[in-house]
Amino acid sequence: MYFAGVDIGSTMTKIVLMDTSGKILSTIKGPTGPEHRQLANEVMKMALEQANLELDDISYVIATGYGRLNVPFADRHITELTCHARGVSSLFPNVRTAIDIGGQDAKCMKINSGKMVDFVMNDKCAAGTGRFLEILATTLGIKLEDLGDISLKSTKKVRISNFCTIFAQQEVVSQLSAGEKLEDIIAGLHDALASRVAGLVRRLKIEPDVVLTGGVAKNAGIVKAMKENLGCELLVPEDPLLTGALGAAILAKEHSAKATAKGEPIPTRPRRLEKATFFSKETG
Amino acid sequence: MADKSKGLSKASEIYQNRSHRVKELKAEGKKIIGYPCMYVPLEIITALDLAPYRTYGDIREPVTEADRALPTAFCPIMRTCLDCALKAKDDFLDGMVAIHSCDPQDKTTRVWQSYVSYPYFHLIDMPGTLRTESLEYFKGQLNDFRKTLESFAGKELSSDKLKAAIELHNRQRALVRELYKLTKPDPPLISGTEMLQVIKALMSLPAAEGNELLGQVISEVKERTGGPEKKPARLLIWSSTVDDIDIMQLFEAGANVVMDESCGGIRAYRADVKLTDDPLDGLTHYYLEEITCARTFREAVFGEARKDYIADLDSRFGYLKGFTREWNVNGAILFLVRYCDPFAFEMPDLKDYFDHLGIPSTYIEYDYTQGSLAPLRTRVEAFLETID
Repeated sequence: MYFAGVDIGSTMTKIVLMDTSGKILSTIKGPTGPEHRQLANEVMKMALEQANLELDDISYVIATGYGRLNVPFADRHITELTCHARGVSSLFPNVRTAIDIGGQDAKCMKINSGKMVDFVMNDKCAAGTGRFLEILATTLGIKLEDLGDISLKSTKKVRISNFCTIFAQQEVVSQLSAGEKLEDIIAGLHDALASRVAGLVRRLKIEPDVVLTGGVAKNAGIVKAMKENLGCELLVPEDPLLTGALGAAILAKEHSAKATAKGEPIPTRPRRLEKATFFSKETG
Repeated sequence: MADKSKGLSKASEIYQNRSHRVKELKAEGKKIIGYPCMYVPLEIITALDLAPYRTYGDIREPVTEADRALPTAFCPIMRTCLDCALKAKDDFLDGMVAIHSCDPQDKTTRVWQSYVSYPYFHLIDMPGTLRTESLEYFKGQLNDFRKTLESFAGKELSSDKLKAAIELHNRQRALVRELYKLTKPDPPLISGTEMLQVIKALMSLPAAEGNELLGQVISEVKERTGGPEKKPARLLIWSSTVDDIDIMQLFEAGANVVMDESCGGIRAYRADVKLTDDPLDGLTHYYLEEITCARTFREAVFGEARKDYIADLDSRFGYLKGFTREWNVNGAILFLVRYCDPFAFEMPDLKDYFDHLGIPSTYIEYDYTQGSLAPLRTRVEAFLETID
């Protein structure tokens, strides 16, 4: 039997296909794009191709993430909080605190024996998310993926006092004209983002092990700034983008096993591997 | 097909068009008195043959006019209330009574009166703690209110009339509690959404008419088949104000809301006003001590150097223990309106208290606009997944 986890984030779509033994058959990351829910089928086709499977071979598909509600080939949707918590605890069995910084949100989950028990999320604002870095990288004329390495050269980080993305942009421009070094400004931006996320995370009591995931965790400068701001060690999975899709695939496997153990059929829905055309909030 | 002229259908119709009845009454010569907060003693308004009408804002209406009078980082409920008033949405009001239950209300209603100039306006002051002196001071304030309203109504308020009004409003409180008993079964016989429509209808009608509506709703709900479906969670909502069914439906998509501890729910009906020799004593005690809004701080004991945390929490939130047990609640949503400081300050301690009771809880903040509700769906769903 095969299971799929589909994580449609605001920036990237991630898919994990898994078999009954928990072995991962394929992992795919593709840009979500502006019409995000319409691209999910393309990413799914790529994942199936990689594993040499057809959609009908998959016993259960769970969709998660910001775009989870309208995935026409999903059997069920579960929030990204529950899926991340499950994915992270499969990689780090001792995790108690999981922090995920994505393209448009930051969240923290408390985990007990592999199950999410509490969580916090940022409010509707780009501060403290990947979008903050994307916008400021553009302002500085630097590639997003280069920010981390440049910031590690900093010897004296500039203090950026604004969390607000727009105000931080103005502040960066004035720091540049004051002659501050690029690496010091970027280190300052990482610190501003990290302190914002740390403030959110401290609403839950932080207990080790602490794991950092999400696209932003690929930035070594952010990992360093998060460690400084939280005052603790951080574990980062090899591929920090995939934990949500991984968790969704594991939950798909577990929910199917639970149904089978009860002698019930796996609760699938009619699936269509096509563009989503309905956008009603009632769906799902 | 339910009879549209009574019961739940009627409540839903009044919810949709709240001012319909008071406008009819006004055409018959009745004076309509607006109030923005449940701390205003409606008994005094009713006893003087005036019709009380709760003013609300609107989560669907973008705030535009109020920006010229109020700061933007400020209680969004008072901002939209003033905005609606400046857009003449409540232009049938003959007067307005507000109360210093919180600073935003106190300050906004002063601005409100200076822009709108109702023929009658009174602002009641109110202490924020429960010291002995608080009661004496608050009684004086209620007496002042009574005097200005007597002079507006052009008649004196006898003690007997006030007692009769207290009995009428107590009857309403008892009926609402009776209706809330019908959310005890699993699934509940009435949904949180329907309950909100009924409570908001009550705040749009004279008390006697509200009681009649409640009687109809209670018999309809008791007899009907096809009430709410059973959902995996039985939620208690704790909030300052839940006043729109879109908010309630956000919770009820995956759960049954069985208790709404906000001023769109049981808060104004949880206890009765005691009938005292001087009826003002009973009103003073009820409005200052019995209403469980976060605007009043209820420490366990005053003047101690060291406090017992759980005893203090019990004194502030103990009433919630009964709700969670009797209604078999298995999750609580603490729903905070942004910039509502009194409720925000209670949040960490209340979350500790729910932990102490063994009830999972989460807190969710929103900015009182309809557009901000959809992103909250993920928080509500994720919370329900932790209860699952």
